Amino acid sequence: MEIIEKIKTNKSDNNLTEIQKICLHKLQSSPLPNPKNELWRLSNKSKLSNFLDYSVNEKDSKFDIPYPKNSQSTIRLIIGENCQIKLIEKNYSIQQLSKDELQKYIKEQISFFKQNENWSDLLNLALSCKNNILGLKINGSKIPPIEIFSHASSNSLNAKTLVIFLEKNCDVELVQVNLGKENSSLSQSTFFCLKENSSVNHGVVSYGENRSNILNSLNVIQQKNSAYNLGSLHFKFNYARFEISIKQSAGNAKTNIKGMQITKKDEQISTYTKIEFNGPNGFLDQINKSLADDKSHAIFEGSIIVPKIAQRTDASQLSRNLLLSNLAQIDTKPQLEIIADDVKCKHGATISQLNEEELFYMRTRGITLTEANKLQLSSYFQEIISFIPISKDKWDLLDKLLNEN
Amino acid sequence: MVNENLVKDVVKEPYKYGFVTDIETEKIEKGLNEDIIKLISQKKEEPKFLLDFRLKAFKKWQKMKEPDWAALGYKKIDYQDIIYYSAPKQKEKLSSLDEVDPKLLETFDKLGIPLTEQKKLTNVAVDAVFDSVSIATTFREELAEHGVIFCSISEAVKNHADLIEKYLGTVVPTSDNYFAALNSAVFSDGSFVYIPKGVTCPMDLSSYFRINSGDSGQFERTLIIAEESSSVSYLEGCTAPMFDTNTLHAAVVELIALDDASIKYSTVQNWYAGDEEGIGGIFNFVTKRGKCLGKRSKISWSQVETGSAITWKYPSCLLLGEESVGEFYSVALTNNLQQADTGTKMIHIGPKTKSTIVSKGISAGNSKNSYRGLVKMGTKATGSRNYSQCDSMLIGDQASANTFPYIKSQQPNSEIEHEASTCRISEDQLFYLQSRGIEFEEAVSMMVSGFCRDVFNQLPMEFAAEADKLLALKLEGSVG
Repeated sequence: MEIIEKIKTNKSDNNLTEIQKICLHKLQSSPLPNPKNELWRLSNKSKLSNFLDYSVNEKDSKFDIPYPKNSQSTIRLIIGENCQIKLIEKNYSIQQLSKDELQKYIKEQISFFKQNENWSDLLNLALSCKNNILGLKINGSKIPPIEIFSHASSNSLNAKTLVIFLEKNCDVELVQVNLGKENSSLSQSTFFCLKENSSVNHGVVSYGENRSNILNSLNVIQQKNSAYNLGSLHFKFNYARFEISIKQSAGNAKTNIKGMQITKKDEQISTYTKIEFNGPNGFLDQINKSLADDKSHAIFEGSIIVPKIAQRTDASQLSRNLLLSNLAQIDTKPQLEIIADDVKCKHGATISQLNEEELFYMRTRGITLTEANKLQLSSYFQEIISFIPISKDKWDLLDKLLNEN
Repeated sequence: MVNENLVKDVVKEPYKYGFVTDIETEKIEKGLNEDIIKLISQKKEEPKFLLDFRLKAFKKWQKMKEPDWAALGYKKIDYQDIIYYSAPKQKEKLSSLDEVDPKLLETFDKLGIPLTEQKKLTNVAVDAVFDSVSIATTFREELAEHGVIFCSISEAVKNHADLIEKYLGTVVPTSDNYFAALNSAVFSDGSFVYIPKGVTCPMDLSSYFRINSGDSGQFERTLIIAEESSSVSYLEGCTAPMFDTNTLHAAVVELIALDDASIKYSTVQNWYAGDEEGIGGIFNFVTKRGKCLGKRSKISWSQVETGSAITWKYPSCLLLGEESVGEFYSVALTNNLQQADTGTKMIHIGPKTKSTIVSKGISAGNSKNSYRGLVKMGTKATGSRNYSQCDSMLIGDQASANTFPYIKSQQPNSEIEHEASTCRISEDQLFYLQSRGIEFEEAVSMMVSGFCRDVFNQLPMEFAAEADKLLALKLEGSVG
């Protein structure tokens, strides 16, 4: 693993940014996460080392965007390409963060990082060069939808970083698409800071091709009265890890998460979420769905942390899983850690297969087994997909998923 | 808001089993090494296979590390500062209960445990364990008529060595975990139960564990074997005096159920929990596991955990036999600075196996109460089902309640359902009860007992009433 060797030796390179140096230094003593750590225990070791097998590529080739830009008003950005942006309109403005702002914010985040918990972010920031970091400051209302693409080229590892500040009272729809090419690794870290009264509908769609890998991490800080809605979908990766950390810094905020992961062949896809309430009156509604087929392995671990200060928190978390093959595996672990007493917290988890009674019903009505299965899956997928802010005529995700299955 | 001042006024009930029995005891020196193990084995006149078993376990233990994954915090235990064998001095062999030191009988009387056989009305056979040894087992003749063997494990080693050799360590292997390995090396006494084929045990069996000395640990071992089509209900109770040092209790319980057999194992654990500042109390590190070996066998664990400074306990079921059933019903209450990390493991191996988990955690004061459970469906567990429910109740804003369920499935043709919730005592309900003239304390205890009802319903009758009272007592003065 060339990258790990590089981290270990830590040759000072003048081209490195200060942040890269800090992260490399942090990783130096133990460049890999501890496989015994709860967050990495189930992670497939050989797949993780496969992720790290490719050499770092700072420039990437052109790629095909999965759907055309059919509206002039949509703002489309591609991380890594020269995306200078400065839009100042009547109602809104979108500008790049200054170097100082970016550095200050990332440095502050790094100071909270822990070796195992934030290993993906540390690796990302250690590898992500200046050109592959995009920082945006969004202000105003009636902002056209924003699309941000990030991709990895074949036979290489690409690290991309996105930092977004949503200013006060701002309201936006943002779709992030992460694409993995054949035999590639993508390290994508996103930092989101939602100021007071802001709200975002955030969609994250990640999919790969043959043997592509992704480490996708999302760090969100929500200030008072902000609303964060996340719809996410991960599929077709040899190895994928989606780590979500959301902090309601002063409570009084709303978080809705609907996520889905689909694994086939011998893939492993995992989702780790950590939601912390650091103030009263927080709200969370989370659902995570997994579907595991063939010899694949789907993992979900979600923790909800409610300290003493977070009175009147209302949090619910549901993990629903479909296990479709004898050789597939599902692990799920929803967790609650609660100290405040005046709270409503609940979680649930189910693992089962497609409902046989439903199947029987449809077949008695003359629907073929394949069709009936498709119908069942589409209803399973629909709940999540409808939450991703991307219109059906633009990109029919459901159709894509059903055809892939 | 619940009136805090009112709560503070409530009189606190002291731990009523905290007395020490002043009795001459025989103790061996502190520390743990091969010689100590040989000495324990020699004192108990054990056959060679058991000494080998102990030494093998000790070797494994030396190589193991104390687990640190539980959500517990305690200062390091010095394993060389513990006395591993302590027994009340008494005559060599006891032919009847009359020869037992009256002080010991008095102790158990004070604890409400009937050892004198006149008290037959209770219809519960008791094996009383005091520190490291069993001092008496009641109703042995009546049980023997049915072919049921109920005695201390030391006696079983002498009289039924074949059964011990065949089953000991088959459910909890010596290398299973740190505390099980330690127990396997130094276990002193405990109960042995054997229910022959087709016998329904005519009465409930019970073990009562009492720690008396402050510097010795208690390492008991219980083994229950239910042959084909037999059934037994077993109760376990425990208390200890108040010392301001921590005492280690590391027990191992193994249950084996063959075809169509059923074992019901109930525990009311009320070890001394330490004082309000968290000084003293028992460290309760227990490995309990049942193996449903036979077809349609059933093992049911029910527990009420109210004592101990620290509880680390996961009564589990290995569901091997086709259509075997595992159950776990638990109430864990922590108050003051108590910490509990408890739950269960249901490992579904055979087809059509079923398991149910109902866990109720109540945390008050500054305590920490965690549910940690594992449900696993193996590749052959077709048509298996699990249902788990974990509810936590928080009393006061200093206590913490955690839920860590691990769910793993490798069998598409099985179903797992898990749900967990957290709540607190509802003010509306409290107001309603109080407006009907019910005292505040009583209203709280009614609500707690309602919260735990699903579990109490599973306890044998004598225990259910005791558990209800125990919870009310333990909670006094903590609501606010």
